[in-house]
Amino acid sequence: MEPIIKIENVTKKFPEGEGEFVALKNINLEFQEGEFSGIVGPSGSGKTTLLNIIGSLDQPSSGNAWVMDKNVAELSHKESAQLRNLHLGFIFQVYNLLPVYTVFENVEFALLLQNKSKEERRKAVMQALEWVGLENIPNKKPSKLSGGEGQRVAIARAMVKEPKIVLADEPTANLDATNAHAIIQTMKKLNEELGTTFLFSTHDEKVMQYLNRIIHLKGGEVEKDEIITAQNPKS
Amino acid sequence: MIQFILKGIVRDKNRSLLPIIIVALGVTLTVFLSGYLGGVFQDVIQQNARFETGHVKIMSKAYAQNKDQLPIDLALLETDKLKDELQAEYPNMRWVQRIKFGGLLDVPDDDGNSRSQGPAAVMAVSLLSENSQELDRLNIRNSIIKGTIPTKNGEVLISNDFADKLEIDIGDEITYVGGTMYGSMAFQNYTISGTVKFGNIGFDRGAVIMDISDAQQILNMENGATEILGFFNNEQYQSESAEDIVKNFNAQYEKSGDEFAPEMQSLEDQNGLGEILAYSNYMSQIIVTVLILAMSVVLWNTGLLGGLRRYKEYGIRLALGESKGSIYRKSIIEAILIGAIGSIIGTLFGLIATYYMQEVGLDISDLLNQSSMIMPSTIRAKIIPSQLYIGFIPGLVAMVLGNMLSGMGIYKRETAHLFKELEV
Repeated sequence: MEPIIKIENVTKKFPEGEGEFVALKNINLEFQEGEFSGIVGPSGSGKTTLLNIIGSLDQPSSGNAWVMDKNVAELSHKESAQLRNLHLGFIFQVYNLLPVYTVFENVEFALLLQNKSKEERRKAVMQALEWVGLENIPNKKPSKLSGGEGQRVAIARAMVKEPKIVLADEPTANLDATNAHAIIQTMKKLNEELGTTFLFSTHDEKVMQYLNRIIHLKGGEVEKDEIITAQNPKS
Repeated sequence: MIQFILKGIVRDKNRSLLPIIIVALGVTLTVFLSGYLGGVFQDVIQQNARFETGHVKIMSKAYAQNKDQLPIDLALLETDKLKDELQAEYPNMRWVQRIKFGGLLDVPDDDGNSRSQGPAAVMAVSLLSENSQELDRLNIRNSIIKGTIPTKNGEVLISNDFADKLEIDIGDEITYVGGTMYGSMAFQNYTISGTVKFGNIGFDRGAVIMDISDAQQILNMENGATEILGFFNNEQYQSESAEDIVKNFNAQYEKSGDEFAPEMQSLEDQNGLGEILAYSNYMSQIIVTVLILAMSVVLWNTGLLGGLRRYKEYGIRLALGESKGSIYRKSIIEAILIGAIGSIIGTLFGLIATYYMQEVGLDISDLLNQSSMIMPSTIRAKIIPSQLYIGFIPGLVAMVLGNMLSGMGIYKRETAHLFKELEV
């Protein structure tokens, strides 16, 4: 089966003083559709840089990163935005909800960018809120939400457009154990029900116990690529 | 999407309130200053037109050269005929004769000796004619403080301040002492029918107003006048038409060597009013330009601060798949909405302030005590149609310009850096 993400000899360098800092060194990875995988490693190991490249927010200095058959290295700004808009969902460490908008409007925003009709948006948003168990509080403002609720809204926002891939950067870092388990279980359920590919950047043990595959990064290199259980490919 | 942006503007006070206040303040100032300057200059122009220059004025060539001295010996003669010819040739204007001259007013006591005296500036206009429009044009009815308008020859109006100074009242007799247009001495008694106050320091200090036939009689100026004034029928000065009429009229007498041949001057050719009109336009342009620049700089900075504050939001939107171009365009749409709201509020406040100054005015009579200018003693703003856009457009342009400049930061910043703001 064609991988949904294919990282091929990717190196990423950043200018540092008069020299340069190598964040990723010749990375080669493949992810199949429906994976529930994680990239783990200490700070500065290149986790976020790798997620940014897969999310087409950054481009490799050399090598190729294929996401949904599109080479991130060759995409224009507009094409990158389109890839994110149609196929990628992001979940962050802090929930990053737009504070002036309600729960409903935060989730709806992604669909506005896709020019969906009002009725289509309403249906999709309510469905996404149902997936995360927040269908009863669509009009709440983010400031009134608990940490767990905020992160669930963020999941609903990432999932509302039913993307092929969700990139989650330390999604449980700000949550207590109960909420962390609840959030990760929600994502696992969506992975199993919708076949969405989830790729985490994490060092949270609670997250790791749910992952099917763990890629260990160290100093910008893949130290270990560990398959925990059988994948759960989309049927 | 516009609805979504509007919600953001309304709910996020930091995004909208400060820029709206800045735009509204700038626009209020622009609109008010425009109305204020427009009102003041228009008042000065109108007062000058009504009392002094007309929209066009015809004098003898010699009189025109020495008009500051009011040389009655250089007056125009056979003016009835000339006036009729003008009326036939230029039917879109109304033509009136006036005589201006100076003299001494003497107030006799019961024994016939001088009780008080003072120099007078006499303006003779058509007061007794049934069809005269001078009463309305000079706003004489509303300017009467005491008494009435002259109803027969031998009655005059005197400025209220002058009457107080000479300690005379209505019904009192005064003696005019001066000369005829041929240089002989002239004495004539007149009765005060009323006192007037025009709110025009130059006139209120020492003016006497009499019917033109009385002046022609005392000055021995039968069928003559020092000047013939032309006013457009709608009483509004029309610069281009006036210039055409002046050019056309003067062409007839261009080659005449007669110093008593008539010469026409437009309002703008007299008393430096052309310069005042040009200055008024120039000042309006300066004010608008300075305010646009100042507002743009302030809004640019506000936009930069707002943009910095919103990097996180931009990062989220990028992550959700919005392009940099779309974010930039929406920030411009926001600027247009905020600029429009601020400009509407500013225009409204500017108009209210202008209306207040139009009704109440600012009394500057103390400043004009020594002035001989024909200038209103209370300066008033005036609501003019251009106020509807003179502040609105700059307000909108400044807001959009400020946001365009500050928004360029979105383009200059790497996507990954904008996104990195999310990690904070």
